[in-house]
Amino acid sequence: MGPKILTVDDSKTIRLIVARAFKSFACEIFEAADGVEGLTAAQRERPDIIILDLTMPIMDGVEMLTKLKADPELRFIPVVMLTAESGRENVLRIAKLGVRDYLIKPFKEELIVERVGRIIDLKAKSEIIMRAKRYDDPLQVLVVDDKPAIVEQIQAALSSTPWKVQGASQPGQAVDACSQVLPDIILVSLSLPEGAGFNLSQMFRAHVRTKSIPIVALSVKTASDEETRAQQLGFNGIITKPIDFDDVQLKITRALTLDTSHKYFQVRDGVQVLMLPANFSNAVANDISTHLRHKVCEAVDAGVNRVVIDMSQLKAADVTLIKLGISVIQLCVELEIQYNLIGSDVVSEECKNYEETKDWQFSSSFEEAMVGLNGKPALVA
Amino acid sequence: MISDLEGLVTTAVTELFSTMLGMNMLPAPLESGFGNGETHVAGAVGFVGRLSGMVYVFTTLSFARRITATFLGLEEAEVEGDEMINDAMGEMANMLVGHMKSRISDRGMPCVLTIPSVVRGSNFSVEATTSSEGHIYSFAAGTDRIFVQFLLKPTDASQ
Repeated sequence: MGPKILTVDDSKTIRLIVARAFKSFACEIFEAADGVEGLTAAQRERPDIIILDLTMPIMDGVEMLTKLKADPELRFIPVVMLTAESGRENVLRIAKLGVRDYLIKPFKEELIVERVGRIIDLKAKSEIIMRAKRYDDPLQVLVVDDKPAIVEQIQAALSSTPWKVQGASQPGQAVDACSQVLPDIILVSLSLPEGAGFNLSQMFRAHVRTKSIPIVALSVKTASDEETRAQQLGFNGIITKPIDFDDVQLKITRALTLDTSHKYFQVRDGVQVLMLPANFSNAVANDISTHLRHKVCEAVDAGVNRVVIDMSQLKAADVTLIKLGISVIQLCVELEIQYNLIGSDVVSEECKNYEETKDWQFSSSFEEAMVGLNGKPALVA
Repeated sequence: MISDLEGLVTTAVTELFSTMLGMNMLPAPLESGFGNGETHVAGAVGFVGRLSGMVYVFTTLSFARRITATFLGLEEAEVEGDEMINDAMGEMANMLVGHMKSRISDRGMPCVLTIPSVVRGSNFSVEATTSSEGHIYSFAAGTDRIFVQFLLKPTDASQ
């Protein structure tokens, strides 16, 4: 459910306003109408933060805070004080009480979210849903680069995906874009004038609405100082220029931890098909390996007990392919399920050159593989 | 007693209404006929210290209902009973007086606020006694009006 927020205020109106401010965030709100109720709620719920009114009947905010700080189990709960009084004397008095922050009424809802978000890890409900997003979802990609050609190249690199790319040539445009629609990921050029790319990313990190959006740096391949600094500042990845189309997709997929399994695994005619793409590489093999056991076990659990490994799009067999093939076959043997291979003549011939793969039998099509599977006993690697 | 009291009230009212309610509440001429039979609601907060007194924020019940609805992000029809309106009007008075109190305290007249209360009724007025002075200011946003009334009683040190 996310962090617990306790709002202690004698005004129901203020408690409702506070609750409304955090409505779109994954958190639990607890309410108390005075210091006595507040202490009881704090002991019961152990909130991650308390938003405490200063002036209340029965027990005011100062007394509640004093008792809170005297309790060894509650003293570390951060408190944000809410007060209608903004005078110097009052502010100094509040500061001495050991509060983490204070807010003066009247306040805007965005401000209280911002201040609380600096102390606890607030996540928008939409972000949590986003984590389960898949590769084929219509993701929003914001590219902040003052070179139109780079934005165009990234658009071209992502043209095979349903992702929408929006360009922003200046930081101000990027901020405006985020205020309208929050992107799923932001690509920021580190070569913007006067370090604006770094400043912008830090600004996004500091703001509660944007702090969880992955930010990937765009950097010239040789700019190692920039890349080091980007890594230190916690960028979620670096895409180097000149732009490599496969690299752009891969880095975004990694930064968003997208579920890519459906790119490779499909159930067809009652068979789990593992499709190896034409651009098969180490990165693709790693990606497939990440999903392999889960997807095959998931299929077996659903009653799909046969696997076809389709290598027909590959032009050659290399060590990476062989290692992946062996691990798939070993899994099938472990699960006692049937498998078959589809591959071109070239791949079939090249596999004969390796000790580990010389006995692999390839079908030339899915239909032929199906014929092979029907009535075929489980194979042993 | 307080120099530029009107300026302090105006700043507090305009800031409160723009921040919490998104309304442009501006000073308006004080009209006669205040308390003309329609039910009014007044949020009241007192302050005690080198300067003591009472502040009332008056408005009509219908506008108080709208203020409450806006405060809480509700439709007017969802504002049920008197309790929600009383709470909202009391808190509004608290914020308004708190804003002013801070500035008055910064001018060397520290004081503390009382818990807010609410007065309801029609055809009523609040008047200063001989030992205190009264001020009333009017504000409007379109046809919606509020009145802020001060009753001030200085201590020797503030005179």
